[in-house]
Amino acid sequence: MKIFKSIKWRLQLWYGLILVVVLAGFGFTSYQLERGRQFRRIDDELHQRMEVLKNALHRQQPRGPNGNRPFPGQPPRRQNQDEPPFDGPPLGQLPEDDPQGQNARPRFSFSLPPEAEHLFETADPHVYYFSIRSRDGKEIAGSTNQPQRTHEYVTSTYAGGPANLVKIIGGPVDQVKGLSVIINPTPPKVSSFAHYRGIFESLPSGESISVGCSVLPELNELHRTALNLTAVGGLILLVGLAGGWWLVSRSLKPIAGISATAVKISAGDLSQRINVAEAESELGQLAAVLNSTFARLETAFAQQKQFASDAAHELRTPVTVILTQTQTALNRERDAASYKQTVEACQRAAQRMRRLIESLLALARFDAGQEVLKRTRFDLAKTVSDCAEHVQPLADERGVKIISEIAPLEITGDSERLAQVVTNLLTNAIQYNQPDGEVRVKLESQGDLAMLTVTDTGPGIAAADLPRVFGRFFRADQSRTGASNAGLGLAITKAIVEAHGGTIEVASKENSGTTLTVRLPAA
Amino acid sequence: MRILIVEDEPDLLASLAQALREEGYAVDTADNGDDGLFNAEGTDYDAIVLDVMLPGMDGWEILRRLRKTKKTPVLMLTARDQIRDRVKGLDTGADDYVVKPFDLEEVFARLRAIIRRSANQTTNIIEIGDVKVDTAARNIFLKEKPVELTAREYALVEFLALHRGEVVTRTQLYEHLFDENESSLSNLLDVHVSNVRKKLGADFIATRRGHGYCIE
Repeated sequence: MKIFKSIKWRLQLWYGLILVVVLAGFGFTSYQLERGRQFRRIDDELHQRMEVLKNALHRQQPRGPNGNRPFPGQPPRRQNQDEPPFDGPPLGQLPEDDPQGQNARPRFSFSLPPEAEHLFETADPHVYYFSIRSRDGKEIAGSTNQPQRTHEYVTSTYAGGPANLVKIIGGPVDQVKGLSVIINPTPPKVSSFAHYRGIFESLPSGESISVGCSVLPELNELHRTALNLTAVGGLILLVGLAGGWWLVSRSLKPIAGISATAVKISAGDLSQRINVAEAESELGQLAAVLNSTFARLETAFAQQKQFASDAAHELRTPVTVILTQTQTALNRERDAASYKQTVEACQRAAQRMRRLIESLLALARFDAGQEVLKRTRFDLAKTVSDCAEHVQPLADERGVKIISEIAPLEITGDSERLAQVVTNLLTNAIQYNQPDGEVRVKLESQGDLAMLTVTDTGPGIAAADLPRVFGRFFRADQSRTGASNAGLGLAITKAIVEAHGGTIEVASKENSGTTLTVRLPAA
Repeated sequence: MRILIVEDEPDLLASLAQALREEGYAVDTADNGDDGLFNAEGTDYDAIVLDVMLPGMDGWEILRRLRKTKKTPVLMLTARDQIRDRVKGLDTGADDYVVKPFDLEEVFARLRAIIRRSANQTTNIIEIGDVKVDTAARNIFLKEKPVELTAREYALVEFLALHRGEVVTRTQLYEHLFDENESSLSNLLDVHVSNVRKKLGADFIATRRGHGYCIE
């Protein structure tokens, strides 16, 4: 799935999951605590009622060692009127002053003390009920609102009791469905059936009491609590997801910007930059780094483009010469001399192109670091004087005097390439000189460096142009008269010198000549 | 038609000049900017072929200065084919440009076009009565039949036709039909006029005594 590969969605999914787990845990714990609290309260209520019933039963039982005393036809309420409730002796510790208790346990009736009646009000939504059974499982007394049973009972209204109390005569307790019955529980056990919760206690005297109530109100409240918790949890989840989405979108937005910019750049528009103001975070640093990379790329591309354009431009002129020369010659029949002229002009143009191409290739090789220097130990002094001799005819033609000051000096390097350097410098100095000017060439040792200086008495180079002197296709006066090189001479010179680990500098004052200084490591 | 070529590459200059002369133009040449501007300002050329990259003053500068005094049509030769270069050329006052390397045919066509436009002609065909001058093919027809004319005679007819209705002085004709190297004899022009009248009819060229010639 593509959607799960997106960082945005993965983050969203991850913290969504964490949020759900935390909220669910929290909600579940809250619910359980609330549930426990509610049921403890119910149980307290039930235990309280159980105590009341136990006390009441105790007092209404026949006094005797067995704890049973019949009260036939006597409303217990009346009998107990003068006695304070709940303070009878506990069951099983019956006083010895009742010898009649020896009798077999007779059937006896039970009535709820009036002060306890309110505990089993029918109007109470909890519908507290109770059931008291004799040892043999017959119900001695119980409330009418006991949970529905499937077992059949014979019921008869207890005349003196409250309307909701009935005397039930029926089967054994453990057959009663609808109540979970635990036969011998001391202390009282709590059990639930459907939405009822009850406690059951067997007395040592043989009777058993069960008290219960409906927990429907609690269940309803717990249900509401659960709904509330779910609603709040859901709301928090939504807010969390929305906030997370916003945060993630906002954090990732610079990435979209960066990628949009990168797309435009890869499509060729190198002038595009990432808007760094939008990315002040960690991505901002990335954007800044990328921007500086893009800037360098753009500069490199612009230089490359300019170079290619300049190269093409330089090739256009000789091609134009060849085209016009041949087209003119072919326009009509010519004599041999005229054809010869045309061919010579074409040859000149072709040679110009050849020189240009060679220069371009040399530069390309130096740029790519593919130029292999044939390093040998050789006499640089001899090379310089040989070169000065070579360019002498050109100097004579221009009326320029060459003054040499050459100290003997050996150097390790490519003698052919270094000869090219010297020739280039001398040719330049002669070509951009004035008539009757002079060129001083000086070679000396300076520490472990060989220093070659070539000084001319030409018009000099404008200060603004100095930084571009070693650039490609630079010409001080845009003139094409010195068509022998296309403004690549010094660029190639610089490339050769730097390939030898040397440096080249230019110093010039307008109208007072130019000095080029080459320093080469002698070793 | 007299044309000035300003171009510093000698082989190119030579072949351009030769080709244009063979096309029937009178051609002057200059191989640097300063001479070029001097010539352009001093003579009423019918068109100037101007290279952009020149030693001394470059093509843009020549054009800028020339436009202060003259409306001579200018065809720029440029090795730069980027749009901004062309726009710059046209904005500075060039009438057209050709990018190197070019074909001679294209240069001829563009030259004819700028000369025609400067004479307010819109087509290559000029019809004067029964005479039809095709400036593209450099042919002249009399009653739909081609008439044989020398290059100089054709140039005379073309110049007068392009300035139809105007009185063209002898000086103007000398200036536009002969280049600076030709020692023009004063009666040479009369010979050409007379030959044209023989071929195209005596009334074709009217003489305005003391002023010059005219095609009505």
